[in-house]
Amino acid sequence: MRNVSAIMRRELLSLFCSPIAYIVIAGFLLITGVAVLWTGSFSPGKPASLRDVFFWTPWMLTVIVPAISMRAISEEYRSGTIESLMTAPVSELQLVLGKYFASLIFYVIMLAPTLVYVVLMEAFGNPDWGASLSSYLGLLLIGVMFTAFGLFASSLTSNQVVAWILGWVPLLLFACLAFFVVSLVQGWVRVVFQQVNVIGRFDEFSRGLVTTDGVVFFLATAALFLFLAVKVVESRRWR
Amino acid sequence: MIEVRNLSKHYGSHRAVNNISFTVNEGEIVGFLGPNGAGKTTTLRIVTCYMPATSGSVTIAGHDVLTESMQVRAVVGYLPESVPLYPEMRVREYLQFRGRLHGMDRANRAAAIDRVVERCWLRDVIDRPIGQLSKGYRQRVGLADSLLHNPKVLVLDEPTIGLDPAQIRATRSLIRELAQEHTVILSSHILPEVEATCQRLIIIHEGRLVASGTPDELRQRMTTESNLIAELKGPESDIGASVRKLAGVADVRTTLQDGWTRVSVAAQRDLREDIFRLAIEKHWPLRELRRDIATLEDFFVKVVTGTREQHDGRDEAAAER
Repeated sequence: MRNVSAIMRRELLSLFCSPIAYIVIAGFLLITGVAVLWTGSFSPGKPASLRDVFFWTPWMLTVIVPAISMRAISEEYRSGTIESLMTAPVSELQLVLGKYFASLIFYVIMLAPTLVYVVLMEAFGNPDWGASLSSYLGLLLIGVMFTAFGLFASSLTSNQVVAWILGWVPLLLFACLAFFVVSLVQGWVRVVFQQVNVIGRFDEFSRGLVTTDGVVFFLATAALFLFLAVKVVESRRWR
Repeated sequence: MIEVRNLSKHYGSHRAVNNISFTVNEGEIVGFLGPNGAGKTTTLRIVTCYMPATSGSVTIAGHDVLTESMQVRAVVGYLPESVPLYPEMRVREYLQFRGRLHGMDRANRAAAIDRVVERCWLRDVIDRPIGQLSKGYRQRVGLADSLLHNPKVLVLDEPTIGLDPAQIRATRSLIRELAQEHTVILSSHILPEVEATCQRLIIIHEGRLVASGTPDELRQRMTTESNLIAELKGPESDIGASVRKLAGVADVRTTLQDGWTRVSVAAQRDLREDIFRLAIEKHWPLRELRRDIATLEDFFVKVVTGTREQHDGRDEAAAER
């Protein structure tokens, strides 16, 4: 646990030393702000809810979350620091978990300023606090899953840009497009797309519906990709 | 302290390390020598638990690198060849981080950082970002990192590569100093480097161990057949013929140079006296007479090219078949 926290702290330090961190945060907040205006969430007569904004958030996150985690492991490969890490008393699991928690904390820091919209809602209207709360829980769970996937992508290559593309393309294809594909297909394919439909699952959260099904889906997927990332980092031993 | 037995590592069909065995005793400072691509880094990476061997075993301080990897890592300090560091971190931050990984508490870390910073002359740069440091300073940060947890065994892969002559000298004397408290194994492809610092050399080539011993032992093996140079004035053919008649001569070559005959003699024993007597007897003036003491460099070159010739011979034989 001490190693996990040491790696996490170092990773956060490096994240906030690089311009990418600030670009990512600024970009996310800018797009969110534009989305708030564009959906007219604060127009008179509209319900005091951020649901329209939240509908678009997972789309942005598919691109943005892999950008947070892309450097985590690939940079260690590229600079060779993986060699000094893996010859210190650190296990692959500790490395991956440390990197994961750092990326996740960064994600939460990035998300936090959007709470200002909720506060504004409260100032000008009478929002449904339960729905807001469950929306944020949903966003957090999306972060838990996407970060794990981004980290897995980062463990596959020593090139950050490749890691980023490996991160967002599958996420966009499976997690988000599934939302549209699901009504077009039949049979077992439909069942699969229903399961991986992140947008659909998140939509439940933004309506204020927290299901065990949904929570387990995000947590289990995250665990799966973290496990795979550990195995990929370990694979240098038998390659 | 370090025991390597029948170590082999294959990358696909390429054999990087081929059945190497050696032992390093406590307090020894051993040089691992070989041309580029000989398998030095691969061997050191196996010894430091970075990757496992294809076959064979490595034991460090009684712990097996495969089954007790964490215990091994706790007693080994490793400086990889490329000296990987995080450029965005400050020296102190980096050493703090490495100290945490080694499970040191705050007080221990402070003491350890103080110690290695003193040792590696890093006091002036301790609060500078690593990315701004020169190659020499980075090397020292790497060395400081490998010393941080006061390891029993220090593994240094090409510790002086890329340094200027003054830094090389300083690093060498530092390594010699360190050898008083640690068992050191360092690799290099430059012979004077290891000759100057190590008590014992292990020469590997194309993944095979080709020679090992103290520098003196290796030199002795070479000088059994020495080379003698003489310059005499007289008829070239006569000189060649008379020298060839001396006992113990293996090979004689003569060349004519501005009226003097230069004789190069390969012999089993010291022929200087015989040549001197020969010159007096025949009334040939003598202006140079010396015996070349073989250097370790010669030995290294001989060992390395020797195995290459053997290999070529074998390959040709195989091709003929």
